Amino acid sequence: MSKGPDVKSRVLALRPDPDRPPPGPFRPGFWRSPLRSPQLTAMLGLVLLIGLPVVAITGLLSNDAYQPGLGANALGRHTHGPLDLYLFGWPAGGPSWLYALSQGAHVTLGLALFPVVLTKLWSVIPKLFEWPPVRSPAHLIERLTLAFLVGGALFEFVTGILNIQYWYAFKFDFTQAHYYGGWIFIGALIAHVTIKFPTMAANLRTRDAVYAAADPTLSHGATPGLIAVATDATAVPSDATPAPTCPFPHAVHDGLSSPNPEPESMSRRVLLGSVAAASGILFLQGIGQSVGGPLRALAFLLPRGATRPGPLGFPVNRTWELTGLKRSVVADGTWRLKVTAGQRTVQLSRQQLLAMPQFTHELTIGCVEGWSTTQHWTGVRMIDLARLVGADPSRVSVTATSLAKGAYGQATLAHEQVSDQRTLLALKVNDLTLPLDHGFPVRMIAAAVPGVHCTKWISEIQFDEV
Amino acid sequence: MSMGRIWQRYGGGPGQLLASIASLAIAAAAIIGWTQRAHDLKAVIEWFIAAILLHDLVFLPIYSLADRVTIGFLPKRAGVYLRAPALISLLLLATVFPTVLGFGARSAHNLSGITEHGYVARYLILTGALFALSGLAYALRGRLSDER
Repeated sequence: MSKGPDVKSRVLALRPDPDRPPPGPFRPGFWRSPLRSPQLTAMLGLVLLIGLPVVAITGLLSNDAYQPGLGANALGRHTHGPLDLYLFGWPAGGPSWLYALSQGAHVTLGLALFPVVLTKLWSVIPKLFEWPPVRSPAHLIERLTLAFLVGGALFEFVTGILNIQYWYAFKFDFTQAHYYGGWIFIGALIAHVTIKFPTMAANLRTRDAVYAAADPTLSHGATPGLIAVATDATAVPSDATPAPTCPFPHAVHDGLSSPNPEPESMSRRVLLGSVAAASGILFLQGIGQSVGGPLRALAFLLPRGATRPGPLGFPVNRTWELTGLKRSVVADGTWRLKVTAGQRTVQLSRQQLLAMPQFTHELTIGCVEGWSTTQHWTGVRMIDLARLVGADPSRVSVTATSLAKGAYGQATLAHEQVSDQRTLLALKVNDLTLPLDHGFPVRMIAAAVPGVHCTKWISEIQFDEV
Repeated sequence: MSMGRIWQRYGGGPGQLLASIASLAIAAAAIIGWTQRAHDLKAVIEWFIAAILLHDLVFLPIYSLADRVTIGFLPKRAGVYLRAPALISLLLLATVFPTVLGFGARSAHNLSGITEHGYVARYLILTGALFALSGLAYALRGRLSDER
C-alpha cells in the first residue's frame, strides 16, 4: 500500500488556490482608486529613472571625496570590504564649489524625489498582496529583490532626510549605514530597471496611443476614464471612440488598475501636478541651503535656512561651546601649532604664523548635509608649512588634529590637496580674526573637500610621505 | 528536460535571473561590510524591516483610509480643490516633519549655535497659501465655465 498519492494530495491542498484569494487586500476588487494604472506607475518610474542615478552617483562621489583610505577618515569603518571601493583620488585644482555642487545635487534631488518615491510606492501597493503570493521560482526571486528595493529606498531616503534635519533617531552610525544601504538600493534598482524597463516603455507608449485613440485633436485633458482602455477593455465609455486593439504586448493588465474603480474625484493630471508641486517646493528648500547667500531664505523649512547676522554669521557645523574646551587652551600664551614631517618638528605661535606670507582665497565649505557657504579666507599656505619642515608638498598627505576630540577630531587631506596653492591654514575670515566658532586659532580650509575635513581648533599638523 | 522547459518552469528568462542574482550578491556584500559593526547591523536590519512594515502596513493604510473616509464629506465639484493642496501639504510634512515639529531642534542648536523658532507657523502659512491658491483656481474656473 502506497502513501504517495495521499501525501501529495495533502500537500497540494495546502497550496494557495490561484483562483481563490483570501478576502481583503488579496482580491483585486479591494483596490478602488481609479488613479492606479500601469501608465501612472510608468510615468513615476521614468522620473525616478532619471533622478535616482544622479542621487546615487553623487552619493558615491561624496564617499570618494571623504578619501576613507587615508588616516582616520573612514571613522572606524574598514576600508577593504567588497564594496569599499573608491575609484580615484579626489581631484584638486578644480573649482572650490565642486564638492558643494555634487553634494547639493545629492541632497536637493533626494528631497525633491521623496514625494515621487512615496507616490510610486502607493501606485504599486496592490502588488504587495498579489495572489498567489509566489507563482514561480522567478517570481519568488523577484519579490525578494523587491523587498531590498523598497526597504533600501525607504531606508536611504528616511535616514538621509532625518540626518540633514539633525534628528538622530537611529542607533547606528549614519555614514556607514547610508553607504551600505545605498549599495543595497543601487543593486536592487539596477535589477528592477533591467527587468521592468520594457514594461515601463510599453506603458508609456500606450499612454500616448490611448490619448491619440481617445481624440486625435485632444492635446490635453484626456477623459481620465479612457486611460483604462489599455488595461481593461470593458472600461471604455460608450460615447468614446473605441480604442484599437492594444499593439503592445507588455501593457496587459498587470494588477495595478482597479477592476471596479470608484468614481473619479481627482484626475491623474491633478495628482501628478500636486506631487510635482511638493517636489518643487522641496527642491527650492535644497537650493536655498546649498547655494546660500540671499537664496538661503528659500530653505525656510530646513534647519540650515536659519542664519546669524554679520560677516561672521555664516553657518557653523560644530560650535565652540559644544567642544567643552576651556578658553585658556587657545590663549596666545599657551597655544602652539606643532608641525611635523618625519623626524622634524617645529612649534609655531599664532604671532609666528601671522608673520609668514599670508594668502587670501574665496573658498566654499560644502557640508555633506547639503548646505554650503563661500567666504574669503586668509592664512598660511599648506605648501609653505610643508617646506618649513622639509617635506615635498606634492608627495605628502597632511593630517590635522583638533583640540576637540571625537568624530572628525582628525582629518587627512591627500597630496593633491596639500600641493594645491589654495589650501590654507586659515587665521582670518572676511578680513576678521577667526572667531572661536569658526576654529580660532587656526583651521584648515581647502578647495572642494567635504566641510568636516576643514578641521577647526588645530593643535597639530603632520605631513606623511605617500 | 530541454532548456526551454527549464526556463518555463523557472518562470522567467536568463536576463531576469542574472539581474536578480547580481542584485542579491550586492546586498550580501553590503551585509558582509556591515558585520564589521555587529551592533550596527542589528539596528540596521530592524530599520530595514520596520521601514517596509510601517510604510506598507501602517502609514499607507492610514492615509488611504483617511482619504476614503473624508472623500464622502467633500463637495463633489470642489472636492479636488481641497484634496490637491492637502496632498501637497502632507507630502511636505512627510519630508520636513523633524524640523517643523522640532525633533532635531536640540542637535541643530548644539551644532549650529542657532535656535530657530517658528517652523510650525511657516508650515501652516505655506499650507494656508496652498489652500488659498487652490480656492482661487476654483473661483476662476467656476467663473470661466459660467461665461461659457
